[in-house]
Amino acid sequence: MAKLVLSSGGSIVFQCFVDKERLSVGRDPTNQIVVDDSSVSREHAQIVAVGNDHIIVDLASANGTFVNGRRMLRHILQHGDVVEFGAFNLRYLNSKTATEVELDRTMLIEGIANAQLGLPTDGAALSVPRKRATRINFPTGRVHMVSGPRAGMMIELDRVVARFGKPGHCSAVLVRRPQGYFLAYVEGRRAPRVNGQSAGKEARRVNDGDVIEVADEKFQFAVAGQRRPDVGRGHLSATRD
Amino acid sequence: MLGIMARKFIEAAAATDLGNVRQYNEDSIAMDPELGVVAVADGMGGHRAGEVASAMATQIVLAGLRQRFAELRSGADQHSPLLAVEESINQANLAIWGAARAHAGRLGMGTTLALALFHDNRIVIGHIGDSRVYRLRGGKLQLMTRDDSLLRDQVDARVISVADAAESHNRGLVTQALGIVEQVTAHVRQVDAMPDDIVLLCSDGLNELVEDADIELILQELRVNLPLAAQLLVQTAKDNGGYDNITAIVARVRKPFPAARGWQRRLFGWQH
Repeated sequence: MAKLVLSSGGSIVFQCFVDKERLSVGRDPTNQIVVDDSSVSREHAQIVAVGNDHIIVDLASANGTFVNGRRMLRHILQHGDVVEFGAFNLRYLNSKTATEVELDRTMLIEGIANAQLGLPTDGAALSVPRKRATRINFPTGRVHMVSGPRAGMMIELDRVVARFGKPGHCSAVLVRRPQGYFLAYVEGRRAPRVNGQSAGKEARRVNDGDVIEVADEKFQFAVAGQRRPDVGRGHLSATRD
Repeated sequence: MLGIMARKFIEAAAATDLGNVRQYNEDSIAMDPELGVVAVADGMGGHRAGEVASAMATQIVLAGLRQRFAELRSGADQHSPLLAVEESINQANLAIWGAARAHAGRLGMGTTLALALFHDNRIVIGHIGDSRVYRLRGGKLQLMTRDDSLLRDQVDARVISVADAAESHNRGLVTQALGIVEQVTAHVRQVDAMPDDIVLLCSDGLNELVEDADIELILQELRVNLPLAAQLLVQTAKDNGGYDNITAIVARVRKPFPAARGWQRRLFGWQH
């Protein structure tokens, strides 16, 4: 269960579990969390529980609600967040949200009744974005187009797939994965070729410097930061001979 | 696991995977090329009851649709495809609900369901829970279903903004599922189908881990190789974390599939 700890000058003044649907914060003694500071409004903010979330909502307070130093009208509290109320700090602790929720099995929970209002009726329904792990560990590669309609171009492989060859006739994709790039056959009679040899129709990993042929396109793969372009060109002219 | 279904009018392929973390795959898939229907279900409930619920859902819905189309074939009163889907989903709900009550270890088992029925140049989309149906048309991906989820409700009720939703801890909390209560409200709608439309059905293990832009790119670039498209979607979800079971079915409209005028051709028109 989540917990709120109110402190001032490093010492704890008050603490409570977030076990109600609504907790009010303000200078007025009728609030559940009373902050005795002249810069705090009588009814300053509210903490609302929705499912696993606790949302802090500023109640049009005179001096605003600051979460981790940023002024917020509404904010979904995260483990370790500090909300400032004058000389007081209110810390939100919820260790469960850090990792466990991600692994919790899908559960059934009551919906919000008034959500029936303004529902999208056609295909306009929005996707709700999630906070994703960064792709910082994914490699970065590029290809230098040697021949074909895109000859001379440098193509950054920064998306999950990049297609080469002649769509509709003969093509293959380079797939970006954490462990490297993979060449996968898509369509056509001929499998792609790597360094002059058929690569077959099963996906296979490509290495820095590999020369790939798909239909009328020929290109060289390079892992960013590992190969200088002039070295690449030297290698290519050698394979052409 | 991979599945492939091919017909002159519609082709489809499916892939499902345990993911990187879970011990069991509680997702189920069903494809019936004769009927022109594909379905995905994502089960929940302890002691592997989720597997039971999701398998029951896909099997009962398909059996229900087969039966209703057979009745139509024998000259009974015409069912609208929308009604046939709705009735079949309700039938599955009752069966799972009954099975859960009859078996102590299965109390609380439930499942999501997403299905697409290709009929007469239209696609009937039915769903419950947070499994989704997308359509790719002209290179643009469009979500065709609205999740029965607390997060979706929060956004629609403006409790939180779409941007803030990324910070929410309410992921995976569904507000409706099959088998939990005696009566459910299945969402059933009909959309037009055009040649080259691609329909994707998936469990949340896919759309939670692969962003829409990447789903769009994979479907667009691999439209001519649906088995590879399904496999790459699932693999991308695993590469991005894969903390849930992952299931994807992709179906492509190859050419128009009008129901012909005669009753026989109306029944069989979409399969040859």
